[in-house]
Amino acid sequence: MIDQILKYSWLIALLPLVSALLIIFFFYFSRKISAFLSIGSVAYGLIHSLYVLYAIYMNSAKHIELNFPWISAGAFKLFVGYLVDPLCAMMLVVVCSVSFFVQVYTYGYMKDDPSYSKFYAYLSLFTFSMLGLVFSTNLFQSYIFWELVGVCSYLLIGFWWYKPSAANACTKAFVVNRVGDAGLLIGLLMLYFSTQNFWNDKITLSFSQLRPAIDFAVHSNVLPIVGIISVTTIALFVLMGPMAKSAQFPLHVWLPDAMEGPTPISALIHAATMVAAGVYLIARCYPLYIVAPVAMSVVAWIGGITAIFSATIALSQYDIKRTLAYSTCSQLGYMVMALGLGAYSAGLFHLMTHAFFKAMLFLCSGSVIIACHHEQDMRHMGGLRKYMPITSMTCLIGVLAISGFPLMSGFWSKDMILASAWEHNKPLFVVGAVSALLTAFYMFRLYFMTFSGNYRGHSHPHETTPSITIPLILLAIPSIFIGLIGSPLIKGGDKFSAFIFYGEHHAHAEWGFNVFLKELMTIQGLIPLAAFLIGTFLAWLVYVKGFPINKFVQDNLKPIYNLSFNKWYIDEIYFWILNKIIFPVYRISWNFVDKVVVDGVFVNGSAFVVSLVGGGLRYIETGRGQLYVLVIFGSVLFALLLLLTRLK
Amino acid sequence: MDKLTEFFLQHALSTILLVPIIAAVIIAFLPNREPLCRILSLIFSLDILLNVLVVIFSKFDPNLTALQYVENYQWFGDTIRFKLATDGLSISMVLLMAILLPVVIIASEPIAKEKPKLYYSMLMMVTTSVLGVFLAQDLFLFFLFWELELIPMYFLIAIWGGANRNYAAMKFLIYTFVAGVCMFAAVLLLYFSSGANTFDMEVLSRYAGSIPHNFQLACFLLFFICFIIKLPSFPFHTWLPDAHVEAPTPVSMLLAGILLKMGGYGIYRICAGFFPNILAELGLWIVILAAVNIVGAAIACLVQDDMKRIIAYSSVSHMGFVLLGVASLTSAGFSGGIFQMFSHGLISAALFMLVGTLYERTHTRQISDYGGMTKYMPKCFYFFTLACMANLALPVLSGFVGESLIFYGAFTSKFFTTFPTTIHFNFGQICVLFSAISVVLTAGYMLWLIQRVFMGPENTKWSKLTDLRTSEIVVLALLLALVVIWGIYPVSLSNLYEPSSTALVSYVSKVVGGL
Repeated sequence: MIDQILKYSWLIALLPLVSALLIIFFFYFSRKISAFLSIGSVAYGLIHSLYVLYAIYMNSAKHIELNFPWISAGAFKLFVGYLVDPLCAMMLVVVCSVSFFVQVYTYGYMKDDPSYSKFYAYLSLFTFSMLGLVFSTNLFQSYIFWELVGVCSYLLIGFWWYKPSAANACTKAFVVNRVGDAGLLIGLLMLYFSTQNFWNDKITLSFSQLRPAIDFAVHSNVLPIVGIISVTTIALFVLMGPMAKSAQFPLHVWLPDAMEGPTPISALIHAATMVAAGVYLIARCYPLYIVAPVAMSVVAWIGGITAIFSATIALSQYDIKRTLAYSTCSQLGYMVMALGLGAYSAGLFHLMTHAFFKAMLFLCSGSVIIACHHEQDMRHMGGLRKYMPITSMTCLIGVLAISGFPLMSGFWSKDMILASAWEHNKPLFVVGAVSALLTAFYMFRLYFMTFSGNYRGHSHPHETTPSITIPLILLAIPSIFIGLIGSPLIKGGDKFSAFIFYGEHHAHAEWGFNVFLKELMTIQGLIPLAAFLIGTFLAWLVYVKGFPINKFVQDNLKPIYNLSFNKWYIDEIYFWILNKIIFPVYRISWNFVDKVVVDGVFVNGSAFVVSLVGGGLRYIETGRGQLYVLVIFGSVLFALLLLLTRLK
Repeated sequence: MDKLTEFFLQHALSTILLVPIIAAVIIAFLPNREPLCRILSLIFSLDILLNVLVVIFSKFDPNLTALQYVENYQWFGDTIRFKLATDGLSISMVLLMAILLPVVIIASEPIAKEKPKLYYSMLMMVTTSVLGVFLAQDLFLFFLFWELELIPMYFLIAIWGGANRNYAAMKFLIYTFVAGVCMFAAVLLLYFSSGANTFDMEVLSRYAGSIPHNFQLACFLLFFICFIIKLPSFPFHTWLPDAHVEAPTPVSMLLAGILLKMGGYGIYRICAGFFPNILAELGLWIVILAAVNIVGAAIACLVQDDMKRIIAYSSVSHMGFVLLGVASLTSAGFSGGIFQMFSHGLISAALFMLVGTLYERTHTRQISDYGGMTKYMPKCFYFFTLACMANLALPVLSGFVGESLIFYGAFTSKFFTTFPTTIHFNFGQICVLFSAISVVLTAGYMLWLIQRVFMGPENTKWSKLTDLRTSEIVVLALLLALVVIWGIYPVSLSNLYEPSSTALVSYVSKVVGGL
């Protein structure tokens, strides 16, 4: 039975594809059938993936990997297939469950949209691509699905194509992601180049053989640790992919703009699953990073910088979805930082907990936006607690979870990351702790501005329909409790790290409430807690009690405020470089090359030569038609004569 | 019946060449009505497709790397023979032509209203000559077919083209004529210097290695210039944007779909097959040329305002990958180059078709005249998006297969080390990495094109436009279905040519290794 469940796990990915194709080709006219197909296929996927998780958890030695040849040319072969191991099983459950809740939510959220069926088709297509990425057995297959999730994201951001902002955002998202993909491609090329002798009779670039391959290349002196083509450069080029996909500084610019898409998309793709794919890929390529300490610390610092950098921007945004988007960047920064610090389990643990509570927060924001009749500016909200109790309650749970309220899911995962930062890298611990403070501040700012005080808008807010609130309630449950599996409170201690780990696992034998208290009552346990309290208190002071710190900052620290409000002018810098440097330089050089060199020298020059010759020949030849013939045969004759004299 | 089949199989290739000639003659005697001519030529084109499929599925063995279906007739004495034969490399190009021809004929409906008889006859003439180029195994015959293609193509542009058609047609003529001259000189040079006393390509390819090095180099360069004019490649590419802009839609489809591949095919067949030593020596320079093409043309696309020009420059960029693949002299690179030619044939045909449908309705190709077209032409938008995604090498669409094979092949090539740098890797690899910039640029210009044409606020000027007609949907669906199928399951295509291309690579490596 268990073997069958694992063997047929590809059905989890296949069914959404089938439903997407059915909707596109046959059922696009019917809203009900489209929704049923799409939700049904992912519901099946959720049940099946829970079984898979259970089966793998029961016997974690049980991996399954099957590969099929995709194309070959000489010795070069590429494969696609599917791999089920603990990491994959965990991701399957996360993707399927978030996708399931989001699709149920969509049923109510998009009900007035004329392209309802198309939306479900795209959602199913995305679910398929994301699951394909999770199932990938090798880096090459990952690259395939990596691009496919990117294109689904493109289609969905541009879903409301008639809005110029959405049209800009989808192009920008794809192009920025392509920058990362180009880096990833270069990384793969270098990796394949340096280890090509290793793959002769194996699955090319497979994750399970990555470690022996690198050891082989390093030991046979093909691949140095540091150098032009080295483990470090490969790891850094590969890192560009995750940097783009997981919106890490400086390739984060597309994610906030991507909020122009419908809110369910923001929850599914741009909060829970696709943006986490970068973290997932780093985890899969961990053997590369482990041997290259420089690459590891680059990963850690990029994560840390992103965490604090995006948190500072989130402080001053008024658009509810953009605030959440910057918060997503910041939390992804935590995950990347954790992986860079060597805290493999902690990073993936945060990925899982974050997927649930951030998806829920986005869905809450969608509920609020619907209730306020498509108003996204928090200055025109407020006091919504009265009108929409369920949304405000679930939102509060999400806010508490993300800011690290004790015993909620975000608390455990963030503490795990900060504890390992304390152990390995003190400056990054400071960065993480400050970001935690900022996180608590801006999340409570969001909550207070939206739900407390008096309503400042002009419409009539109301609680949304059950198809919207039920997913919120159901997502609130994992947002509170899922963190416990990584805590010392349950029997046997930290189950998550015992299940998903890299290399050798150090078992946490100790467990119980005392262990938890003992861990909390250390410096690295108390500082995050203090950060949470201070951040929350400040937000309460400013946005509930009306203590005018924000006014003070806006008036007296204008430059700092502007930096935060204008997102550190990163977009402006990029567009300036593009418009003022790249295009003009290109225009000048291309005009020169095309007009002067090619058309001028080659074409007109040859015409000039011909006319010169023709001018000379005109004395002996009169017709223009013969001119060509003469030139051709003359030159051929000349070549022949030359040849004949040489041969003799 | 058996005898008839046997007879057909023995003369299959000449039949394939003869059918379009017969069609051209018959059409010339028809009444001058468009539907009649179109349907007749469609029937003939389907017959060609059927013949090609029969050839592939009956006796053709892709694993046999030798020439198959050989037909060898005496022509001008013993020297110049009428020799036709095929192998995996040429049959895949013939297949591409056979697939594109019916599609092009269906797409010709609005164009050929004027002088339909002449139009379809010309189309059939082009077919004969292109198929002849791919099937000829005698160098002189090859040259004749190569030149024959010029005449109908000139008229197709000059009669049915746009406003500036005479200039474009003349430019096309002059460029291609120069190419022909180069080839003619090279053919004669090769013939006389080898002393083989035959134009048989199989024999000549064996002799070519033994002629003096200077002559080899001269022959190679002449052939190479001829082929890169056709491909086209920097610095001989400027005829292509002009020709495309002025040519009518179906002719553009044909031009980008198959005529450019004659250049690529020539490089495989003659530059690599005859002069492997020279190819290995000059490999690095060709890689630099390829990188300039790939990246330069991609940037050129960013600054165009004419949709057809964008796609024309994107053709230059994509055909640069073929150069990169050939110059790598690895089996992945060779195989990828052929796949790239095939998939680019389908994708660019689809893109030109889409631009043609827009142009037919709006009579403008300037991007700035468009905006928000999705509202009026949603089907066109979906097809356009799919074709653009294929063009920017999205995985599971066929463009990706060729490009990734070429990248892997070129990066792992041993032959770029003739210009070693002091750092750990060689200059060829730097060029390959430089070409990887095109991954970003291609996405940039294709998506920007979609954004400016189909997204944003709609231009109410076009509110009376109708969406795609059934015939247009059929054309696009056929092309893009093949793009999807060969993108998901590339082995079904690569099996056809893979043994031949690997054999070519191993022959090249053997010759170069024995240097």
